[in-house]
Amino acid sequence: MSITVRNVSKRFGTLSALDRIDLEIPQGRLVALLGPSGSGKTTLLRIIAGLEIPDGGVVRFDGEDIADRTARERRVGFVFQHYALFRHMTVFENIAFGLRVRSRRTRPSAQQIRARVGELLDLIQLQNQAGRYPSQLSGGQRQRVALARALAVEPSVMLLDEPFGALDAKVRMELRRWLRQLHDEVGVTSVFVTHDQDEALEVADQVAVMNAGRIEQVGTPDEVYSRPASSFVYNFLGNVNLFHGRIDNGTPHIHREATGHLVFVRPHALEIARHPQGANYFRATTKHINAAGPLVKVEAITEWGAPVHVEMAQERFRDLGLHNGEEVFITPRDLAVFANEQRAG
Amino acid sequence: MVSAIELRGAAPAVRESAWVRGLLIGTSVIFLGAFLLAPLAVVFAVALGKGLAAYAASFRDADTLSAIRLTLLAAAIAVPANLVFGVAAAWCIGKFEFFGKSFLIALIDLPFSVSPVVAGLAYVLLFGAHGALGPWLTDHNVRVIFAVPGILLVTIFVTVPFIARELLPLISAQGNDEEEAALTLGASGWQTFLKVTLPNVKWALLYGVILCNARAMGEFGAVSVVSGHIRGLTNTMPLQIEVLYNDYQFVPAFTVASLLALLALATLVIKSIVEWKAGKVGSQPT
Repeated sequence: MSITVRNVSKRFGTLSALDRIDLEIPQGRLVALLGPSGSGKTTLLRIIAGLEIPDGGVVRFDGEDIADRTARERRVGFVFQHYALFRHMTVFENIAFGLRVRSRRTRPSAQQIRARVGELLDLIQLQNQAGRYPSQLSGGQRQRVALARALAVEPSVMLLDEPFGALDAKVRMELRRWLRQLHDEVGVTSVFVTHDQDEALEVADQVAVMNAGRIEQVGTPDEVYSRPASSFVYNFLGNVNLFHGRIDNGTPHIHREATGHLVFVRPHALEIARHPQGANYFRATTKHINAAGPLVKVEAITEWGAPVHVEMAQERFRDLGLHNGEEVFITPRDLAVFANEQRAG
Repeated sequence: MVSAIELRGAAPAVRESAWVRGLLIGTSVIFLGAFLLAPLAVVFAVALGKGLAAYAASFRDADTLSAIRLTLLAAAIAVPANLVFGVAAAWCIGKFEFFGKSFLIALIDLPFSVSPVVAGLAYVLLFGAHGALGPWLTDHNVRVIFAVPGILLVTIFVTVPFIARELLPLISAQGNDEEEAALTLGASGWQTFLKVTLPNVKWALLYGVILCNARAMGEFGAVSVVSGHIRGLTNTMPLQIEVLYNDYQFVPAFTVASLLALLALATLVIKSIVEWKAGKVGSQPT
């Protein structure tokens, strides 16, 4: 099922949580709503689910306005950040809940319910935990049960609110790969909310970057990462160095004083050398070197006293033979320029 | 390592010398003995002082039996009434935001802060012969004050906070997540309430019912004002105890008192079991 969001707004008191949002989610896609906390992403998800009523605007499922359908009638699978499993029910009963509450006419037989729950337990690889209570499971297991419970009713849309937000880093990694696989198998249109850019970029087909109740950019992970539409998106997706800059004859330059433009450079797009290279270099003094990991991270102080972060391959680092406190020349290979709307954000 | 150091550092602060501990524990034991256990023991000592036969004989008095029946009736009506009201009030206060919410909470607490005698008087002024609704009630042949309906009304009044107050913190702490999950899974409001909300609060609910019942049976002040002390008709157990005591019938008086004391002890036992059960459920990480 495709989802269309048109001109949707929502206020909480004086706070504008969503400001005239437009979003198109095609059938079968896995879309991430990415943004800092308070950007309105969860509100948007809850409006799609029918758990929140928008002040204005329209939500359509397959082109049909669903304003008069309650959360109960929308057939969405909703997965909560803190799982929201029924704590007094076993894993089996949790997953079976959505089937058991159906009206007698549409309710599957006890045998069909057992078969369906069994399938889902296989899918989430918790066959042996059917009789356990949520409190006896780990966080990752609980979230898988929550997913199975939502899938049990064969929803037309899956909505996931920070599904991995409460898990530790390693389980997060495993679970988000598993979610991607699951989506490829089941193929149901899915929207998930996250504030973690790695998660959004790794899992989603499409990323909608949100900020202060607006959508800044929608695109594939590669598009939003490589061609950010705004300084906010550039800043939010990955580490970045911020400089003042100006444009001379159509080419941007880094400038030491405040100008009308901001220049963004990713740490891996800065080149450290012992001698000046090209025309756009500046001087810096290395301050701290972290050589653990696949990339060497160098922190340096520019000639005008601002910190700058550079990342380079181990090989390059060994060739240079860098130490702390050395004077070097830094040249940006790839920079992005935005008009200075927010002063040195 | 850090926690081990902290523990070692914290230990001396909570370790008192032997005589301090002895003094504190001793004081508590003497206090509890003098103020709680001794009166309780006296009740049973006097009730059984003339032997079991005299104890049993006290129950053959028609007025006493009528008082027991009336007390059971009052509890049987006040507890279910407050069960429905308490669950409804705790649900709407705990789950929703609305204007006047804190006022409603204060209103539920009112019976705790108003003296029961004042509550009783208020009902007399409202429903009594010279009260606001008195003439209308007389015209329609309904007696409230100095009759059973008045006793039921004030019993409900003084027990209003028990169940609502017991449920409210739990219901608001549990939030709406599980209910919202049930909703998106297609459950109706009633199904959500029965299958999700109610099972989550069942121990607190039982606890509230026990306390409510104990108060309903034990209430003296408010009932005393509206009852009129008509023997065999409008005396509840606490009132009957007073009547018997004032007639110097000590054995029957203390016999009825022993029933209320037993009710209190049973309440304590059930309360402890419920707390233990609820604690076991509550201590699990959720």
